Amino acid sequence: MSLLEFARGPAIHAALIIMAAGIALRLIGVLVLTRGADLSRPRDAFGNFKGYRTVFSRAWPSGEFTTTTRYQTVVAYLFHIATLLVVLGIVPHIEFITSLTGLSWPALPNFLGVALGTLALASLLALIGRRLAKPAVYNSTLGDYVTWVIVALPLLTGLMAFAHVGPRYETMLALHILSSALLFAYMPFSKLMHAFWFIFSRAQSGLAYAHKGVRI
Amino acid sequence: MSIANATTTAPAAATAAATPIFPSFEQVYQGLAGQIGMLRQMAPKPTKTDEKRLQGAIDTLIEETNADEAVWLESCIHCGQCTNACHYFQATGEAKYAPMRKMDLYRRVYQLEISPMRWWHRLIMKPVKLQDFADASELIYDSCSECGRCTMVCPMGIDTASLVHHMRSAMVAAELVPPELAALRMEQKQMGTVFGSSPEALKKLVETIREQAGVEIPLDKDQAEVMVLSSAVDLVANGNGLLATAKIMNHLGIDWTLRSDGFESANFGLLSGDMSLWKQQADPIIAAAQKVGAKTLVIAECGHAYPALRWNPMVSGGELPFEMMYMSEFLGKQAKAGKLHLTPFEGKVTFHDPCKTGRRGGAFDEPRAVLAEMDADLVEMPANKEYNWCCGGGAGIFLLEDATRLRDESFKIKMREVNESGAESVVVSCASCRLNFESGRQKNHWDKKVHSLVELVADHLIDDPASLPSSNRQAAGEAQGARP
Repeated sequence: MSLLEFARGPAIHAALIIMAAGIALRLIGVLVLTRGADLSRPRDAFGNFKGYRTVFSRAWPSGEFTTTTRYQTVVAYLFHIATLLVVLGIVPHIEFITSLTGLSWPALPNFLGVALGTLALASLLALIGRRLAKPAVYNSTLGDYVTWVIVALPLLTGLMAFAHVGPRYETMLALHILSSALLFAYMPFSKLMHAFWFIFSRAQSGLAYAHKGVRI
Repeated sequence: MSIANATTTAPAAATAAATPIFPSFEQVYQGLAGQIGMLRQMAPKPTKTDEKRLQGAIDTLIEETNADEAVWLESCIHCGQCTNACHYFQATGEAKYAPMRKMDLYRRVYQLEISPMRWWHRLIMKPVKLQDFADASELIYDSCSECGRCTMVCPMGIDTASLVHHMRSAMVAAELVPPELAALRMEQKQMGTVFGSSPEALKKLVETIREQAGVEIPLDKDQAEVMVLSSAVDLVANGNGLLATAKIMNHLGIDWTLRSDGFESANFGLLSGDMSLWKQQADPIIAAAQKVGAKTLVIAECGHAYPALRWNPMVSGGELPFEMMYMSEFLGKQAKAGKLHLTPFEGKVTFHDPCKTGRRGGAFDEPRAVLAEMDADLVEMPANKEYNWCCGGGAGIFLLEDATRLRDESFKIKMREVNESGAESVVVSCASCRLNFESGRQKNHWDKKVHSLVELVADHLIDDPASLPSSNRQAAGEAQGARP
């Protein structure tokens, strides 16, 4: 079995199984915990329901915090959108998803895929740059850096494979798939789980504050 | 205008102003500061073994962690947004005061004991030690007033303040409460008093107010529409707070009472993190209010008393026959209903929302309605209401000697905000905020005046509309006419 066959076969499949099982374990394990009861009388009878607005409203910081959050918010949005489009939009990725699920959709042109991949990597570099430049603000842990590397590797190897830079193409492609497998398997153990938590976390706070008549 | 105002004042009050019955708030602050200094010697020493203290802290966190807490602990991505929202970080620039750091130890306990991935975390993480809790004390008490400003910016919406509150509960079990709060917690737990503010002290103060100010306080009535609370700050230092409350209640012709079996707003259960003491203090107040058949329970200007009673998660508020409201809410409702007529307030003024009644309480409009009733030129600070900066002294921090630098430095943010608003005076509606403002005012030789809302209202009551100068009488008449 070649490295590429290993990557395309057992490695990526095992990684996807670990990811799915891990996400399910972590999400369900938390969400089945009891909910604490707040017995106090809400400020207005239907007020609590308004708390769900926070799930959407928190997608962009309040004007109060514009100066301190602008850089992080803009760059993080660029990173998330570009990454999502590359993951779901380029031909080889769609082919892989089709092989697993049978689903398919039209792909982005190659030049756009490369541009988005480059943008995603550049924004990731911009994020780590700021993290390193302002240690007091970020309070980074080892996990933050490990996560950054694990997220950056598939982007870097994917771009290199596409551009035929570095080792020969088959090796580069295998490295790209293996790094993606690492990312998948790592996800349930890391802060990447925020992809799910944000909905619950925002809703909870929105509800808790709406109970008191405060819009956050 | 000031001369015109003086002529409208009732003779008794005018005499009182000439020879004050109670010390000025400047003196109150200085006196209390001395008393607070003595608390450190009165603090109880740990009684349990280190193993039991550690286990107690961990068990407390396990018990208090529900899905809400677990999700919040899971959600932090260390994006750094909360750091700049915290006044203690802003004031010092020191990384350790970043809000995200304040939940680190809680998260470690969660990951090792509760998380569905605990088998994994136990492989890669070291167990938690008692020393970790001791080291976290500065983050849990000194540098977090549980003001909730970080929640306003967090992209995940994590409610760090409530996580810190659970950590305070764990610190109670670990016997690591800072000495000042530990001493007051012990006093309130064992004797039911704070700073020695007993029912006898209350009776004495009520008598002093009757004899010297000629103001009647209906103590221990069997039945009353409104039950009013006092606070230790009033009883042991600032008699003017209770005097002002009585003047207003009597002026409004309200059927009210103050009960010696439930008068204390201050709750050192909530401040220290002792949930059982929190409940132990709230229960008699609620029982007393039910006994007198009150429809309204008015909580004195004591910020944390609002969450301690009105937002007490352990009390089924919806089933109680009375409504609980903060003093500023009560005054605001009276003003909105057209029952409170006040003489004008001169000069630009701004209102400081205490964290516990503002962002974490929701009482924003009512205090402003009171100021509107005085035709006050109200200007807002750049960050106001939900985004208000904490004064730096909330959640018991005003009492902590170790937090002096953090408190003083973060108060400079507040001074800057007030200065930028262009106001000449600040109105606060919380004894802790007021003490911290007074401390900051004196230390910085700040040229702003600081008023308590309730005392300000008492000073501006229109005793007899007929005795007003014609311009004011007209205004009062119009105001009355405008409200059927």
